[in-house]
Amino acid sequence: MRGGFYVNKVAILGSGVMGAQIAAHFGNAGIPVVLFDLKSNQGKPNELIEKSVANLKKMNPKPLAWGKSLDYITIANYDDNLELLKDCNLVIEAIAERLDWKEALYKKIADHLPNDVIIASNTSGLSINLLASSLPEKFRNNFCGIHFFNPPRYMPLVEIIPHTNTNSEIVVTLESFLVTSMGKSVIVAKDTPNFIANRLGVFSMVATCIHTENFDLPLEVVDKLTGKDLGRAKSATFRTADVVGLDTYAHVVKTMTDNCKDGWEECYKVPSWMQKLIDNGALGQKTKAGCYKKDKDGIKVVDLKTGEYRIADKKADKEVLDILKGRDWATKFDALHASKAPEAQFLWACFRDVFHYAAVLLGQISDSSRDMDLAIRWGFGWKEGLFEIWQQAGWTKIANWINEDIKSGLTLSKVPLPQWVFDLNDGVYQNNKHFNAKENTLVERKVLPVYQRQLFPDLVINEKSDTPINVIYENDGVRLWHTGDNIGILSFKSKMCAIGMDVLTGIDEAINVAEDKCSAIVIWQEKEVFSVGANLEEFGFAIMMNGKEAVDKIIETGHRVVSKKIRYCKIPVIAAVKGYAFGGGCEILLHCDAVVAALESYIGLVEAGVGLLPGWGGSTEMAYRASQSIEPWKDFERRYKNLAMAQVATSAREAQEMGFLRDSDTIVINTRELLYVAKERARFLAASGYRPPVSPKFEVFGEQGVATVRGLLANMFAGGQISEHDLLIAKNIAIVMSGGLIEKNSVVNQDWVLNIEKECFKELALTQKTADRIQYMLENGKPLRN
Amino acid sequence: MNKPVYVVAAQRTAIGKAKKGGFAKKRPDDLLAEVIAKTVEKSGINKSDIADVVIGCAFPEAEQGLNVARNAALLAGLPDSVPGITINRYCSSGLNSVAFAANMIANGDVDVVIAGGVENMSMIPMGGNDWSVSAKVFEKDENVAIAFGMGITAENVANDWKIGREAQDAFSLESHTRAIHAITNGYFKEEILPIEVVHNLPDLATGGIKQKKQIVDTDEGPRADTTLDALAKLKPVFAAKGSVTAGNSSQMSDGAAVLVLVSEEYLNKHKLKPLGKFLGFAVCGVPARIMGIGPVKAIPKVLEQVGLNLEQIDWIELNEAFAAQSLAVIGDLKLDVAKVNPCGGAISCGHPLGATGAILSTKVLHGLRRTGKKYGMVTMCIGAGMGAAGIFEAM
Repeated sequence: MRGGFYVNKVAILGSGVMGAQIAAHFGNAGIPVVLFDLKSNQGKPNELIEKSVANLKKMNPKPLAWGKSLDYITIANYDDNLELLKDCNLVIEAIAERLDWKEALYKKIADHLPNDVIIASNTSGLSINLLASSLPEKFRNNFCGIHFFNPPRYMPLVEIIPHTNTNSEIVVTLESFLVTSMGKSVIVAKDTPNFIANRLGVFSMVATCIHTENFDLPLEVVDKLTGKDLGRAKSATFRTADVVGLDTYAHVVKTMTDNCKDGWEECYKVPSWMQKLIDNGALGQKTKAGCYKKDKDGIKVVDLKTGEYRIADKKADKEVLDILKGRDWATKFDALHASKAPEAQFLWACFRDVFHYAAVLLGQISDSSRDMDLAIRWGFGWKEGLFEIWQQAGWTKIANWINEDIKSGLTLSKVPLPQWVFDLNDGVYQNNKHFNAKENTLVERKVLPVYQRQLFPDLVINEKSDTPINVIYENDGVRLWHTGDNIGILSFKSKMCAIGMDVLTGIDEAINVAEDKCSAIVIWQEKEVFSVGANLEEFGFAIMMNGKEAVDKIIETGHRVVSKKIRYCKIPVIAAVKGYAFGGGCEILLHCDAVVAALESYIGLVEAGVGLLPGWGGSTEMAYRASQSIEPWKDFERRYKNLAMAQVATSAREAQEMGFLRDSDTIVINTRELLYVAKERARFLAASGYRPPVSPKFEVFGEQGVATVRGLLANMFAGGQISEHDLLIAKNIAIVMSGGLIEKNSVVNQDWVLNIEKECFKELALTQKTADRIQYMLENGKPLRN
Repeated sequence: MNKPVYVVAAQRTAIGKAKKGGFAKKRPDDLLAEVIAKTVEKSGINKSDIADVVIGCAFPEAEQGLNVARNAALLAGLPDSVPGITINRYCSSGLNSVAFAANMIANGDVDVVIAGGVENMSMIPMGGNDWSVSAKVFEKDENVAIAFGMGITAENVANDWKIGREAQDAFSLESHTRAIHAITNGYFKEEILPIEVVHNLPDLATGGIKQKKQIVDTDEGPRADTTLDALAKLKPVFAAKGSVTAGNSSQMSDGAAVLVLVSEEYLNKHKLKPLGKFLGFAVCGVPARIMGIGPVKAIPKVLEQVGLNLEQIDWIELNEAFAAQSLAVIGDLKLDVAKVNPCGGAISCGHPLGATGAILSTKVLHGLRRTGKKYGMVTMCIGAGMGAAGIFEAM
């Protein structure tokens, strides 16, 4: 029985950039959605909406997890199709930020809505209380703000903003729904201008702009200083502004200009150089020119003195960059604060003003330091929140430094730091508690039932998960543990979960232990990836030193552990996949009894990129799976192309279409719920009286398959589309997947093909060109074409 | 030829765009049957006098498999006594069927034979449903070209004959211009049989079947709006640094054409009005890697056979498999470009492989008649390295 509110169908009003992308993400989640917009005056009635939907297929990053997401979207216009609203019990309004337009639209739809409907506005600027008062009375209690971040498929944050009379039950309902069914991370925000994440994030940009001018720094230097090295997005400050659109940025700043009387009102302006760009129509990425532009001479940037574009070649101060490489925030802040370098003082000034701002606003925009930190992390991609950084830098020390700067008139506002800042000696996060301004003390986090599905949720510093970790086996490569039940969890300890010899032997021994102590194993990583594949550094070096013998050992161990142990051990093995699952990582999931994959999984057998072929049973498994298809040759061709071209699926759905996941594998939209569902799947398999599969016999295409593939390759080679080494790699993949040069439709078994896989892998691994490819990948992180 | 052979009727369908055109859902056997029935009716012959039906098809399988010639003959309402044979020499199949039929009559064996061609590339892709290569191909380097797709052979010709991208695109534009001119002036009216295509579609809203009918009577490929700029923007399809694009290659198409051939005695006895005479046919081989050059060998051979010289030929239908090979053939034989494809060719109109030879034969006969000219030639290159040519005399 499923209790509570069930979202039957969603109506999205407005098919602009946000509306259409939110609709796409409902499609990704398998939830039917009706996308409304104005009827077109000329041509087809839904032309406008059809265009927005068609545009979804072209956008990058992709809003659609797979083509079929579109099947869930019905398009409709306000003149002809309002009757479709009767099945929609969740309505998300995402039209232009005009109160009068929104009000008119609410009136227009009111009579067509079901009584229990939840209505939410995806406004980023207007007051929710004001919007609520424009609604017909019977819907007001079921109304709130729902603020998605662009791009909505990839940015985790959704802010829910209740107004004074919002029924608190619908807030919980909506939060639970967004988390489990849409995979979002939710923060409940107060109804204040720009809510939480944009208020803080935009202020941070505003402050950065002001200090950029004060310290007379070139934009590209500021971007170098405020990007990855600070744990923020690579696009840093001004590249982000270009992506967002300078006009959009100006719009959110204007919301603050108009509505915020908080002591910083002097700061809420767009700098004059940026206003000039906007006036000239240089709005950023969408107009191909903004703070930056790219032309034949390379990447150019606006020079703040001349207002003209020049080559972006100014470098940041090495001394300051070295400071940012420091061990921890305390070291970094000490050095920044002490340094005379302008760029160090600039960084201190930026941090100082944002800390100052956040401390004053705590209580106004949110009562919780934790919510403010998580909002900026989930909405702006910062690795750590503001209070987290402050506290790690030394709470009281930083507070005193800020206080001194306020007194000396250096800060952007003279508003004093609130008293609680000085009352908390050790900061806002202590012993699993965080600071709540309303209660003026440290409190424990409140947990809705939906979060019980997140065994390891996102946490702030000094917090720990409630889930116990009981380790039952460990070596240098892996750890086998459980949470107090009989499901073993196997995690890799290596960087990006790369698979070296210690991981392989660890898996082998962990399975031995688990067969004795557990009823099933879930392979789940504590990191954000499943595995980037074999440890190229380790194995590349071994092959360089020991040649053939090293290859034999790598492949034989892989076959024994990945192709055999995982598949034929006595208990079910479930792969819980999220993020990258490349090469050897993909081969592991291919040999599991079931895969539970997060929607955001990027799966592929990419060995060809480094001059190899899948050698831990992946090529063999592809031969086997093709043989089981209703159309074996078509399936063979599809799988073959994936391998030869090193294709990567851009979602778990796509991985299913490409044949890396089976139709019977499970897809979970919320990555944080992955382990919970994977354990359920493991329990289910164990409970059903699990027996391992027996090694199957199957038909292969033999020499005929190889010849036909070679025919295709001959054309690509003649057309100069592939190199001679590409040809050799592709031919060897064909030989393995065809089961060798034997008669067509011969019946073989796994060992037969594994043996061919080993020989074909070896031939490639011992070539100079493959060695060059591996070397290049290790040095540059991208494949070499040779 | 021992005895003269007359063409008393020649009709074709419009050429449909593969996949999205009017014949995409029309089965080729059904389409051919309609063309046979209507052409036989137009010719004035007695159905029961037909000695054989010879149909060319480049990928005779599935919807156009199972000896489509015999099946279409029966579907067309020809008597059980009329046999049928499907023949295949790829792109010359349709012309080869005319040559086969003509030879039977010229030998004095029979009096009436139907020739034609059919291809539905929407249903049967290039290479057939299950393209497969012999491992022996790779034992000798010179045999690898057997596996080459036609695009690569066009690139090879472009390289060997130094045919540049601009020349190819200009040739393509001229093909479209000529085809559009011909269509606008109604030049194809006489030769094209309008075909009704019926679609039975589910009406999901009512639960009933919705019937949609369309008449296909105009070649769908030619574009009035194409420009050199638009053609120059297209990327090479077959080679990374190549010059052959979708714009300067023939289009994938669906279509059919049928000719009725009779002996002189039959012509006179039934007082039939001939469109023209079939004078002769030649075919020969060239290296597979440059298959597009085939007509260079075939044209002199057929001219010698029938005792004519190139200047005497008024109209040449040179199948535009690719602009690159067409230009190479034109250059090598010094063909008069004004005489070559006066109404456009496969680049603009389309190229339903096995049907093309019969379509071009129909085109040349009606074209000569319309313009009051005498000798016409149909010629084409053929996959795996061959060329074919046939000559008609208008009456």
